[in-house]
Amino acid sequence: MATDNKIELHIPSIIGFEKVAMETAASVAKEMGFTDDRIEDLKTAVSEACLNAIEHGNKMDTSTKVGITLTVEESKLQVTVQDEGKGIGQIDLPQIENKIEGKEKTRGWGIFLIKNLMNEVKFESGPEGGNVVKMIIHLKKEPPA
Amino acid sequence: MNKNIEISISDKGGVSIITIKGDVTAITGSAIEAAYEKVSSAGVKKILLYFDKEGYINSGGIAVLIGIASESRKKEQVIRITGLSDHFQKIFYMVGLTKYTELFPSEDLALKDF
Repeated sequence: MATDNKIELHIPSIIGFEKVAMETAASVAKEMGFTDDRIEDLKTAVSEACLNAIEHGNKMDTSTKVGITLTVEESKLQVTVQDEGKGIGQIDLPQIENKIEGKEKTRGWGIFLIKNLMNEVKFESGPEGGNVVKMIIHLKKEPPA
Repeated sequence: MNKNIEISISDKGGVSIITIKGDVTAITGSAIEAAYEKVSSAGVKKILLYFDKEGYINSGGIAVLIGIASESRKKEQVIRITGLSDHFQKIFYMVGLTKYTELFPSEDLALKDF
């Protein structure tokens, strides 16, 4: 469904369906003229946001959905991923040294990747509950520093 | 919905090559772990992980690879990696996996002087 400059989709809370969101975001980004490397960055960020929503937000409850909204603007693409769960609380940034030494679980890289691959990221609560991740990728040649 | 993963193990000059075709996720990663355990139990000290350029690796898959890197240090093994797309080479560098495993642009270069 496209309304003006928005594309919206809903995916089941089933691992694997994040790929639908990834490929949709990639198609939109390609149409906008993003470079291949930035499209790959976007795909990974969208995948991670959807996986977090499926696993941690919605707890893989198949009665829930993950909503993805892509908003096309002249110089940027915003992707919003929303789940139906409760807040996930503060997430500490992962340190590989701690994980290699067994001091931390090896998982926990999703938010790290999103923050490092996108130009802007915001974490919010939805108006009717749920977690919302807003990611913005700028239509520029240079990736984020 | 998850693409199946295909794992094969071969040997070249004392190096165990674990070839990975498909998506690397928390779910499919168990197959990589099983292959790693198999070569480790045979006492192999040099391992090459050969990825599929078209494959997708998510954070769950990265966690599996970090677990393997962690185990390899305890077992005094050396792990080299090849076959990654430019994007995933960047991801591996970003998370710090390249501090513990070296990336190579080809199998030949990965096996050279190993």
